[in-house]
Amino acid sequence: MLLGLKRRLLLHLLRDPSYRFLFEPPPPGEAVSIDCETTGLNTRKDDIVAVAAVRISGNRILTSERFEATVKPSVKLNPDAIKVHRLREQDVADGRPIEAVLPDLLRFIGARPLVGFYLEFDVAMLNRHVRRMLGIALPNPQIEVSGTYYDRKYGDAPPGVEVDLRFMSILEDLRLPALAQHDAYSDALMTAMMYLKLEDLKARGVRLPRARAKPVAWYGGG
Amino acid sequence: MAQHFDPRNAPFDRLNENEMAVVRDSLDIAYYRPNETIIARESAPGSLFVVIKGAVEERDGDDLVALRGPGDMFDSRALVQGRSSSAFVAREETLCNLLPREVTLRLINANPRFASFFYLDIAHKLDTVSSEEEGARFTPLLGARVGELFLHPAIFVDATETIAEAGALMREHKAYALFVADADGVGIVTRSDLLNATLCHHCPPDSAVGPLAHRPVIGVAPDDLVTTALLRMTKHNKRRLAVGADGQFVGVLEDIDLLSFLAGNSQLVAGRIDRSRGVANLARAAQGIEPQIRLLRRQGVKVDLVCEIVSDLDRRLHHKLFELVAPQSIREAGCLVVMGSEGRGEQTFRTDQDNGLILAAPVPEEDLVKFRADVFDALAKCGFPPCPGGVMVRNPVWSKTLDDYRDDFRRWLALSDETGTMNIAIFYDAEASAGDAGLLRAAKQELIDLMHGERLRLARFARAIDAFPTPIGFFNKLVTSKAEGDAVDLKKGGIFPIVHGVRALALEKGLHETGTTARIAKLADLRLFDGQFARELTQALHYLMTLRLDAQIAEQASTSLVKPNKLSTMERDLLRDAFHVVKRLREMLRRHFNLAMF
Repeated sequence: MLLGLKRRLLLHLLRDPSYRFLFEPPPPGEAVSIDCETTGLNTRKDDIVAVAAVRISGNRILTSERFEATVKPSVKLNPDAIKVHRLREQDVADGRPIEAVLPDLLRFIGARPLVGFYLEFDVAMLNRHVRRMLGIALPNPQIEVSGTYYDRKYGDAPPGVEVDLRFMSILEDLRLPALAQHDAYSDALMTAMMYLKLEDLKARGVRLPRARAKPVAWYGGG
Repeated sequence: MAQHFDPRNAPFDRLNENEMAVVRDSLDIAYYRPNETIIARESAPGSLFVVIKGAVEERDGDDLVALRGPGDMFDSRALVQGRSSSAFVAREETLCNLLPREVTLRLINANPRFASFFYLDIAHKLDTVSSEEEGARFTPLLGARVGELFLHPAIFVDATETIAEAGALMREHKAYALFVADADGVGIVTRSDLLNATLCHHCPPDSAVGPLAHRPVIGVAPDDLVTTALLRMTKHNKRRLAVGADGQFVGVLEDIDLLSFLAGNSQLVAGRIDRSRGVANLARAAQGIEPQIRLLRRQGVKVDLVCEIVSDLDRRLHHKLFELVAPQSIREAGCLVVMGSEGRGEQTFRTDQDNGLILAAPVPEEDLVKFRADVFDALAKCGFPPCPGGVMVRNPVWSKTLDDYRDDFRRWLALSDETGTMNIAIFYDAEASAGDAGLLRAAKQELIDLMHGERLRLARFARAIDAFPTPIGFFNKLVTSKAEGDAVDLKKGGIFPIVHGVRALALEKGLHETGTTARIAKLADLRLFDGQFARELTQALHYLMTLRLDAQIAEQASTSLVKPNKLSTMERDLLRDAFHVVKRLREMLRRHFNLAMF
């Protein structure tokens, strides 16, 4: 009921009616894993330099239909960020402006749920431009893999357990192959793998084992 | 940008860049939970699967047949055949790359080296088949008829005869299956049927064989295509088929004979050549040689071995031909020789007629005239085109007495022009294929003696190595010729300089070996090459010959042009390495023969 209201409100706010597909029911069993590389970590000042998205359908990652784009940012590249994503000024100079990339990306995503790692950040980066263009933020449901992972790993943990939600730690714990990190497509792909595996664990009710606490020091003393 | 897919894994390392791009763009990834079926038995998989992470069990019923881990692929056979005889089940959580079936089949058709991997993979599993129309495209051999295959004779037993009698009959005829005839018609009983009956069902050996027979008999007609036989075996899961038409059975086809036929049974061709009773017969047998080349190569047999097998078949053919057409006088006084690449045993696809006749003494002119024409005609019928340079028995220059040849040698050396050099090279590579081999040996020794210590003559002879430049340019780039469609000529740029350079050194040292590989080994023994360089030289030659053979198979023609942009990165690197070896050989020869001075 409430969702229906919100949807109608957003539809009303949508400036460009050709994007109504964002509100259609998504194809069943599908989702899109997405990742952006940016000039820095400030969602207000920094900008997108690369974006990649991969469709997931059932148990398949449709890498044959991936979306990849290099974006020409409106701001200068931050030297620290260059070290992370390795895209230099000259690499992004050939990119298209975000205004040209976004329509293609939105059509690729459609109404499918978005899957990501620290998705909040990517969506915030995208929404700055989506808002400007459509008058609304992305209406797609969002699935945070680190959240699903937390449930499988630490959902029943006693308080005080040290939580590790780093990307590489999750990847390793799920025994997934590590591809070159900080490349938008590889990150989106690894995230998609995490998603499929975590969804399967959830469906089967399997929990991820936590490392046993080390024997406590006083145990051996007496 | 598909790091989940390792292009260095066989067979994908055999793809060129364009083909690799196609693979990258068509790959999907799938995730399977433990015990999830990836390919069900009897189903048609839509993709080729390559394991990224995890483990996959291949199961036949409840039996575990094999386990696949990261980098392994499955199931080539099901993919080609369109039906899986095993089930593939994830043992643990598993990620796989999926390459669509259409893409895989397209690559198999386009790239013979990629295809060879699949053929080998499939051959290992001892039964191979493809859907009918694809089969026809894959290999012309599948266009053969069942009647051409080796068939076991059809042996009949009456339904009332005993198991013991049937068993004795099988032993006597070395047969695995018997036809059982009774009022209802014909059935078939196999050795394992008899064993099962006596060992498992405790039938007494004197019980009748009739009830054990299978009906209906699964059969093929002698006119049926080999593909039909294969499909029928697979479809009915039979190891043998009855061969016959209109209810008349003429034989039994065993799967092992069918497979050995497909697997390139060169002994079969050899046998046919040896048994030929006339030129027409021989020509038919000769047609079997070329398909052998394709098959051997598709199975990944190394090029030197392919050459050896093909040369052996060609020698047999010449030998038989001599027996068939030589009159008594020539048979007693003559030696038929093959020359050039045929003599060196390095030719694969049929080249021109390169042959000659050496006579110990003059023979009646009419015998000689007839023989010249007969040999030429017979070889033409066997598929050898005439030699444009006239190096063949038909030409009186190449069919005469040893004394006449001796005069020729002196003339060739005295003139030492291009023709002379070429003739010396051709003759030095001669190998006797029929008649008195001693004549050829004497002639060659004469040639060697004439050259012995003649530095200037040897240098003039060796100079031909610089006829064509090595196609390696600045920055290690392969130099292609625009006129030839951006291709590199493997023969001019690599094979010829190696063959001729080695030939020059062998002639200087008076070697009687003819094969380039054998000459290199002998020269290494004589310390002209160090062991390392000899190995590199042999490898380079074999690699260039492999590329040329694959190009010839792909083009279905005798070509020596290869387009570097159609090769994979690894192949291009190896090609560059090979040309570098050629360069080093040239430098060594220039110093050795002081070519700069002449």
